[in-house]
Amino acid sequence: MTTLPAFGRRSALGFAAAGLLAPLGAARGQQPTIRVGAPLPLTGPLAPEGIKQRNGYDFWAAAANARGGVDVAGTKHRVEIVYADYASNTPRAVQTAERLITQDRVNFLFSPFGSGAAKAASSVNERYGIPTIAATASSEQVYDQGYKFLFGTFTPNSTLTEPLAEIVTGANPQVRRVAVLARNDLFPLAIGQEMVASARKRNLQVVFDEKYAIGTMDHASAITQMRAQRPDWVFATGYTNDLILIRKQMADLGLRAPVVTMIAGPAYREFISATGRQAENITSAAWWHPAVRYQGQDLFGTTESFNQAWEQRFNAEPDYAEASAAAAGAILQMAVEAARTIEPAKVRDALAAMDATTFYGRVKFGPTGQITSLEPPVFQIQGGQPRVIFPQGIKQADLRFGVG
Amino acid sequence: MSGLRDWALLVLGVAVLAALPMVADNYTLRLGTVFCMYAALALSWNVIGGFAGYPSFATAAFFGLGAYTCAILQSAGWPMLPALAAGGALAGLFAAAVGGAILHLRGHYFAIASLALAEVLRELATKLEWLTGGGMGLNLPVPAMELHAQAAFFLHLMLGVAALAGAATLLLRGSRLGFALRCIQQNEDAAGMLGVDTRRAKTLAFAISAIFPGLAGGAYASWTHYIEPPDVFDVLLSVKPLVMVLLGGLGTVFGPVVGAGLLLLFEEAVWRSFLTLHAAVLGVIIVVLVLFLPNGLMDATRRLLGRRGRGAA
Amino acid sequence: MLYLQVAANGLVLGGLYACIAVGFSLVWGVLNVINILHGSFIVLGSYLALFAYQVLGLHPFLAILPVAAALYAVGHATQGLLVNRVIAAPVLMTLTLTFGLDLMLNNTMIVAFTADYRRLNLETPLGVLFLGDVVLPGDRVAAMALALLLTGGLWLLLRGTRLGRAVVAVRMDRDAAALMGVNVPRINAVTFGLGAAMAGAAGVLLALIFPVSPLNSGLFLGKAFTVCVLGGLGSVPGALVGGIALGLIESFGALWLGPEWAITISFMVLIAVLALRPDGLLGRRGYA
Repeated sequence: MTTLPAFGRRSALGFAAAGLLAPLGAARGQQPTIRVGAPLPLTGPLAPEGIKQRNGYDFWAAAANARGGVDVAGTKHRVEIVYADYASNTPRAVQTAERLITQDRVNFLFSPFGSGAAKAASSVNERYGIPTIAATASSEQVYDQGYKFLFGTFTPNSTLTEPLAEIVTGANPQVRRVAVLARNDLFPLAIGQEMVASARKRNLQVVFDEKYAIGTMDHASAITQMRAQRPDWVFATGYTNDLILIRKQMADLGLRAPVVTMIAGPAYREFISATGRQAENITSAAWWHPAVRYQGQDLFGTTESFNQAWEQRFNAEPDYAEASAAAAGAILQMAVEAARTIEPAKVRDALAAMDATTFYGRVKFGPTGQITSLEPPVFQIQGGQPRVIFPQGIKQADLRFGVG
Repeated sequence: MSGLRDWALLVLGVAVLAALPMVADNYTLRLGTVFCMYAALALSWNVIGGFAGYPSFATAAFFGLGAYTCAILQSAGWPMLPALAAGGALAGLFAAAVGGAILHLRGHYFAIASLALAEVLRELATKLEWLTGGGMGLNLPVPAMELHAQAAFFLHLMLGVAALAGAATLLLRGSRLGFALRCIQQNEDAAGMLGVDTRRAKTLAFAISAIFPGLAGGAYASWTHYIEPPDVFDVLLSVKPLVMVLLGGLGTVFGPVVGAGLLLLFEEAVWRSFLTLHAAVLGVIIVVLVLFLPNGLMDATRRLLGRRGRGAA
Repeated sequence: MLYLQVAANGLVLGGLYACIAVGFSLVWGVLNVINILHGSFIVLGSYLALFAYQVLGLHPFLAILPVAAALYAVGHATQGLLVNRVIAAPVLMTLTLTFGLDLMLNNTMIVAFTADYRRLNLETPLGVLFLGDVVLPGDRVAAMALALLLTGGLWLLLRGTRLGRAVVAVRMDRDAAALMGVNVPRINAVTFGLGAAMAGAAGVLLALIFPVSPLNSGLFLGKAFTVCVLGGLGSVPGALVGGIALGLIESFGALWLGPEWAITISFMVLIAVLALRPDGLLGRRGYA
């Protein structure tokens, strides 16, 4: 081989690659812009989640720009979201976050999807001092690293299982035997463990506590074993595809129970349309629900007007993941407007000091950066619709028993 | 003489990359680090895939094993470099041990057995929570260093791994083992009859092809500070070295390095320009390479397998 | 009772796995091509069945033949136009080619159909069968029966027709078959088409059971690999035996060691079979 020229060419290519990466066409009109980077899993296994996030961010950007932009001390700034796909691959997410900061020169960042990727990428934005909002990271371990620039819009996982356990045991003391089947993956696993903790705390008997591997195509054995334990409460965690399959195989194998809870599928309309009648009476909990009612000080105003605008654009109700993404944008906007500058450190301080009500709920971040002020609603699929059964203030229906 | 020239090239290349932090920003250093990682993986795959002609898909297994060993030892208080070395050594020993069981397979059968190694290790890493943190992943200490210094440090670390892999390839080429591997690639049965200890040669080659991915995995884990099973046992880590070597030239010394640079360039260019269609565009590039640029690729592959591999052993 | 139910679960699951693997095994055995596209072909079959049911109201069982025919055309064209050009090259080349094609097809499906998980819900579900205390889901039993039928049909085709004998001849010795006047490129294309048709038919059946999404293609492909190795490459009974063996291994593995171990065990068995019995559990080679 012609080694010398080839080797020279390689280095040249390396530098060419670096040149290619220079920001393309930053100037666009005269209006100043705020650039927000959003590394998302738009392809690969997490693609459905990534697309929800993108909808939420787009929705905020469009709403902000329709009002002339974000007001920074009297100057309106256009919002521009710079998307990058990391193909559901966490290292790529970290790499992409750094690229967005150093090459695309974004002012702020939205975290990649989920607790794992958000945590992995948080070291990058921390190093560069870029205020970052995580719209889908709930694990406390994401926030307890002592970082100053990371803020999250999900409360810890236990805030989902605690109200669930409270309302179920309160309504029916006969519920004694709990079976937990969790996907062996960050968030679903953590929520399964929280459920076991919440159950034990109330002296419920955990008769089945197992995990299934990512990519499991058959749950028949697990369901057969659960059925043999005659549980009163079946608690399954996973992503939408897992839960659709588990629900179908429960019906196939005749596993019935007074209470069946699934997290995090039932909040998504895809779950309800894919499972049809079998979705009936399944309970779940999420950080937000279209039925909550807040008088927001943010650009979206009340929850109703947010819902309405969303439905006009997407022809469907928003779910909690979409709302959280839109809220991340709205919160960032409020912080920038309060700071009266886009200087990262000042915006960071404004986020840390924030205590405001939005369409999404009350927003106040704890000392670690994770939101502490939300009250996640519990809901149940009734008549093909998710109906809120807790908290009392926004309740739409009573808890019903019996899933068969 | 050509040997001397290649050594000079290796030293020159390493020197150029080592000097990169003086002129480049952090993102370029990150790309440089990825390039070194790719080069190390491709060079290692070339030892078993190119020299010996065994289409291995086990790179991800070695990479993940090295990453987890290094991460676990560092969490237990080991300094980074000894932990890294332990990861490489364990990957090599693991390859030598399983090599005895699967290296008698040929063609597709060997390919599948090597692929399954990574799957088993990934599942085990997910399961053994007390050791690996399971699905929650594992965090590593972040070195207390200024940003640019940190980027430069990990570039140099990964460059060191790549340079070792390059040096090993050069040494191997002129050695008795290298000769034995080429005999095996040409015609394994004949090689055996001529008195080549094929079993020993193949096992050694498999172990060598495992050490550097093991080291690269450890360096990678230290670099990203966070690993989880699906990432470090990713099947793409097994597929990419093969594509790089096919791109650059099989069984050559610097071909895999060129291929690593080309693949990285493709990835970056495609990734930037196509938001959700980049996989399809990468697919088109692969198909076009295979169909319309067969010479560089085909000649090389024919040398790889020599025969029309008919599958079964 | 528990054991009986778990055994029944394993058997019907094994039927599905056999269904997934038959076409893959045929292409590998005859053409010596590892068709990475196989998983995406199955998903494409599922989408066609889904749309046929939702738009035309065509029952999936009636959609099997048209969908298989459509996939046959796709497969025939893929082999005739693309794969035949490098069929004589070493295995790595065809594998890399189908890998590239799969990236294209799968990515296109994600963009065209979105990655959202959907399901084909029959107006009148197939219900469940009771055999004593053992419950058998109707759709899985139907899928298994159809898998048997399709595999039997393929076997008859290969054994009983001129075309089939030409395929078998190519499988045995490509050069000799060419000398005997067999149009090898055409037979290659027919074989690849048959493999794709089997994938399409499997996709229709699987749409009744699994959520439909392009993201499933990798899972299907992985199962096809394992089944082929367990059963022995390129044999019709082998795909059935391998599928059922895998179904039983996963079911009992999940029972004894916990659901999270099911997949690990199947990979360990795979490696063990490869190391000890590379020709598969049946220990026989050759289609039909």
